[in-house]
Amino acid sequence: MGKNDHATIRAVLSGDKEAYGALVTQHSRGIFRVAYRITGNEADAEEVVQDAFMRGYRKLESFESRSNFGTWIYRIAVRCALDRISRRGGDKNDRGHGNAEADSEAVQVPDRAPNPEQMLLSGEIGAFRESAMHSLTPLERTAFTLRHMEDCSMEEIAVVLEIAPNAAKQAVYRAVHKLRQRLALLKVRT
Amino acid sequence: MNHLSQEELVELYYSEDGPEAARHMDACSECAREYEALQADVADMKAVDPPSRPQNYGEQVWNSISGQLPVYARPRRPLFQRILSKQAWFRQRPLWIGLSVAATCALLVAAAFYAGRLWEHRNPLPPIASHPAPPAQQHVVVVVLSDHLDRSERLLVQLKHANADDTQLATPLRDEARSLLAANRKCRQEAEANGDPELTMALDHLNELLNGLANQPGGLNADAISKLQAEMNKDGLLFEVRVLRSRIPNRQAAVHLKGGIA
Repeated sequence: MGKNDHATIRAVLSGDKEAYGALVTQHSRGIFRVAYRITGNEADAEEVVQDAFMRGYRKLESFESRSNFGTWIYRIAVRCALDRISRRGGDKNDRGHGNAEADSEAVQVPDRAPNPEQMLLSGEIGAFRESAMHSLTPLERTAFTLRHMEDCSMEEIAVVLEIAPNAAKQAVYRAVHKLRQRLALLKVRT
Repeated sequence: MNHLSQEELVELYYSEDGPEAARHMDACSECAREYEALQADVADMKAVDPPSRPQNYGEQVWNSISGQLPVYARPRRPLFQRILSKQAWFRQRPLWIGLSVAATCALLVAAAFYAGRLWEHRNPLPPIASHPAPPAQQHVVVVVLSDHLDRSERLLVQLKHANADDTQLATPLRDEARSLLAANRKCRQEAEANGDPELTMALDHLNELLNGLANQPGGLNADAISKLQAEMNKDGLLFEVRVLRSRIPNRQAAVHLKGGIA
């Protein structure tokens, strides 16, 4: 697969634009999955997929032959998703990277989230979990998604997010801490 | 006993912490309970399954972006590479094909050379308009003058420091003076012809001295040498010759310009 990807990239750089279609077809689903998990939104995930492949195309000349295209485009997609949720003004729980003192504010249930009784009644526990995810900062949410759902190592997360490994570890820890507090709230009310 | 922090428990959960934390869990029931609680909570945070995509999802994505992507410019390769890439068979064929191609190239080069020779014969180049050749004589005169002045200077130095009683010195001085006389005469004629009165006068003085050395009646004896030394010193002939000799480079350049020699 790697050799085919490299041959395809050489073809694209030689002027065969259509060859890039094969790479898009091959990697779109995986990119959509991670984009959806980070953004939590289907429309945003679709946008991220397109944005990632377009950015990848424009940066294709910087692609190093020893790299794996799947990993490379995956990283671009994560950056696109992080950018998107950082820009998303509608999500009022999205904040900056935050700090330990400010983290305590994140445990407050957002106004738009349904209360526990309603969720239990309607069986929408998943929606509560989703709202808990929205309480995280973009960086925490992305780091947690990559570690917990995509099974990336802390080093990989640090590389993808272009931060220090210790910062990646801290982001994951803060995310877990906040999510547990949210879920504890849910358990108490039920 | 120090209990594990929440951060360390999270690290342990994600297998990022070392075996030390795991050993602590075996020994500390409180941390073990904390860890179980953490496991239960985090296990609740299941990975979100994304909505399903159609079978041709990749094609859909490509169709939506392909129109916005520019075509990469085809890199311009050297001519020989383009020829070789088009003639891929060339690299896979036996040696004789390569040799035949090389022979063809050599034949083409030879034909081009022969055609060039023929063309030159049929279309001779127009004669190059040239300036009249400068008189080489000027150059030769300068060279001769320079050499003549050198030799004259050496002779005058010998004469100046000569011991008048040294009879062995008389013959070499006379012979050298005789050989210089002819050259001095020629240089003087040229100097006069070139309108150089300073040089002409100096060579006249030199001529008198050389003549005295070469053709002294009764031979070049001690009195004659002393007399010639006095005459040379009185006229400052040695100094004059040295000055002329030092001016030779400038004089030579002047002659070059005058003669048109680049």
